[in-house]
Amino acid sequence: MALTTVDHSALKVNQTGIVATVLVAFIGSYFFRPLLVLIPLLAVVLLLGTFAPQLALFKQLYFKVLKPRGIVKPRPVQDRPEPHNFAQGLGGVFLAVSSLFLYFGTPASASTLLVIGLAIALLVAVLAFVNLAFGYCLGCQIYYQLGKRGLIRA
Amino acid sequence: MSIQLWALAVAGIVVLAVAGLEVYRSARARRLVAGATGEPSAEPYIIYFTGEGCTVCRTHQEPALAKLGAVRVDKVDAVAERELADRFHVYTLPTTVVMSPDGRALHVNYGYAPATKLDRQLAQARNGSALESTATA
Repeated sequence: MALTTVDHSALKVNQTGIVATVLVAFIGSYFFRPLLVLIPLLAVVLLLGTFAPQLALFKQLYFKVLKPRGIVKPRPVQDRPEPHNFAQGLGGVFLAVSSLFLYFGTPASASTLLVIGLAIALLVAVLAFVNLAFGYCLGCQIYYQLGKRGLIRA
Repeated sequence: MSIQLWALAVAGIVVLAVAGLEVYRSARARRLVAGATGEPSAEPYIIYFTGEGCTVCRTHQEPALAKLGAVRVDKVDAVAERELADRFHVYTLPTTVVMSPDGRALHVNYGYAPATKLDRQLAQARNGSALESTATA
C-alpha cells in the first residue's frame, strides 16, 4: 500500500479529544453520574470516524475550525492512514465494551461492572495520552503484528 | 472507596502489569537475540527494521539514523522480510540492531533509539562489548 500525506496535527487533536472526553466523564461522574453518557457517545464518534472520516468529530473540528483559524498548525507527514484508523477503531471498540459495562452496572448492586467499565475507558485515555505525548501508538503496533501474521494487509 | 477510585486502581494495576510484561518480553528477546548473527563488515553497522505502517520510524528514527553520518544502515521491511525479523525477535517497530564487524548482534533497541544512544553503541561495537537490549517503545 502506498504512502500518502497524513496530517499529524489532526491525529493529535483526535487524541486530545479522547483524553479530554474520558477525563470529563470520569471526574464529572463523581459529582454527576449521568456524565458517564459521554463514554458511549465517544465510542460512537470513534467508530463512525473510523469508517467515515467525514464523521470523525475531532478531526473535523481540526479541519473546519482549528486549522483554518491558525489555532493549530498543520503537520503533514508521509504516512499511511490505515494503522491510525485501526487504532482509532480499536479505541472505539474498547469504549463500546466499556459502555456495556457501564450500562449494566448502573444499578447500585452492580458497582463492580461500573468499576470495570470506567477502568476500560481510563485505559483507552491512557493509551491516547501515550500516543499524544510520546508518539507510541499501541493500536499501530497491533496492526503491525496482525499484518506480520497475515491476518490483515499491512 | 468511591467507584472512580476503584476504577483508577484497576487501570493502574493493568498499566503496571503491561509495563512488567514489556520488560519481560524485552529481556526474553535479548536472551534469544544473543546468538543471532548477520553478515560480517569492515565496520560496525546497523540493521534497521521498519515498515510502511510505522510512523515513529519516519518521524523520529530515520532523522536519528541520518545524524549518525557515514554509518552503514541496512533498512529492512519487517513485514516483507519476516524471516530476518524473526531472527532478531522484532516485536515492535522501529527496531535497531547494532552489529559488530564480525557479524554479531551487539545491541538491540526495541522502539525508538535516539542518535546519541546509537552513537554510543556503535562506539562500544568498535571497541567490542556485550549484548545490551532496551525497550523504549
